[in-house]
Amino acid sequence: MSREKDAANYAVVFFAAVSILLLLFPVSKIAHTVRIAASYSLYPSLHYGARYTHYVRNVPDNFLLLLETDQENRALKEKVRELEVRLQNAAAAAGEGERLAVEMGLSRALPWKGVWARIINKTPADWYGSFFVDKGAEQGVAINDTVLGMEQGHAGLAGRVLEVYPKFSKVLLLTNGAASAVGSIEPEGLEALVEGKGTWMLKMNYIPEEASLAEGAEVVTSPGGLLFPPGIPVGKVKKVYSRESFMNFITADVVPSVNVNTLKEVFVVRRNLPKELLGARQAEKK
Amino acid sequence: MSIIYEVVIYLAVGSTYWWWSQNLTVFGLAPNLMFAAALCAAILAGPVKGIAWGFFLGFYADMLGSDMFGGYALTYTLMAYGVYIIKRHFDMDSLFSQLVASLALSWLSILFYQGLVISFSRPSNLDLRVFLSEPFLNALVVPVMFRIFYQLKRGLGVL
Repeated sequence: MSREKDAANYAVVFFAAVSILLLLFPVSKIAHTVRIAASYSLYPSLHYGARYTHYVRNVPDNFLLLLETDQENRALKEKVRELEVRLQNAAAAAGEGERLAVEMGLSRALPWKGVWARIINKTPADWYGSFFVDKGAEQGVAINDTVLGMEQGHAGLAGRVLEVYPKFSKVLLLTNGAASAVGSIEPEGLEALVEGKGTWMLKMNYIPEEASLAEGAEVVTSPGGLLFPPGIPVGKVKKVYSRESFMNFITADVVPSVNVNTLKEVFVVRRNLPKELLGARQAEKK
Repeated sequence: MSIIYEVVIYLAVGSTYWWWSQNLTVFGLAPNLMFAAALCAAILAGPVKGIAWGFFLGFYADMLGSDMFGGYALTYTLMAYGVYIIKRHFDMDSLFSQLVASLALSWLSILFYQGLVISFSRPSNLDLRVFLSEPFLNALVVPVMFRIFYQLKRGLGVL
């Protein structure tokens, strides 16, 4: 036991002495460089602090330069990432600014009074059916107000206000399967019913069979329609279907004048429809 | 042959410690596997070998760090000697004594190392978060490492 104790004493004295020598005597330049290189490669984060220069003293200048280059490279990479994000944000803001400027210019030329609203929610399950906008009763929006979209410098019919809340509203799109509008085919002024199909395309029904309808003909809202102001572009005829033997009218596919997929803002036209009229419609619904 | 196994174990412990602290930290915290290995080796091995393990594991920790050189080697050497003294009076094979020893010796080691840092005119790098949490992480690891070292001792004749 005593022998073991002696051995332990000798061992601890020996190893403690070696440790103290390592602590007391500064290691050679080469050894220090190797150690810094090893620790830097394994734990580069250790060297990021303000005490970096304290640790890397006593190493050759070229090695120090290498470390500094590495640090600079990391810092620059970080900065590049940050700038890329800023650039993307700036590009998005510039695009939005440009689009809003065009829309504001257009809205001044419109003969109707209304309010601009931003689309705040689209439901994937009801993509062509409806969306919410950030203006509601507090901004003067009312049920059945007409909703216009702007595309390529022109206003087009997007839908109408279906539900109004104090700060937001729900818009029923014309492409909704339950939506329709009385359309007038230019230039003859033939009236027909434009209906939504739940897809991006519209369907035009009840076109008199004698009508000379051509593909590309423009469809606007009819003065005979109650809900929408007359003359708003609805879309263009894409395909005319021939008359079925058992029907006395023809149908056509219509491409909407506004693409709901690209809409970001809409112009809500204040209709101020007579209350009696709305009351009658509500009663009809019930 | 056993010396080769011991070198392999030594390098494996060092590599595991490096990998763990690089990839498996929780809120920047990880157990000090070098400390745990030094403590387990001191418990299981004879006095000279235990102290040598402490010194070389500390040396490895010094190599990984960028602070003063030899600080961990001295700390773990003295810790191994302390364990040799303690285990003559207490049963260090039991779980409870290992938990108590790892907690107490972790704090003592950290304080001793910081004392060395201050003595050798370096700015102290004591992180209070590490000081408060690392001993508990070490206490969780030490019994596991003790079982591993115990099995290696029985199977390979190392330590």
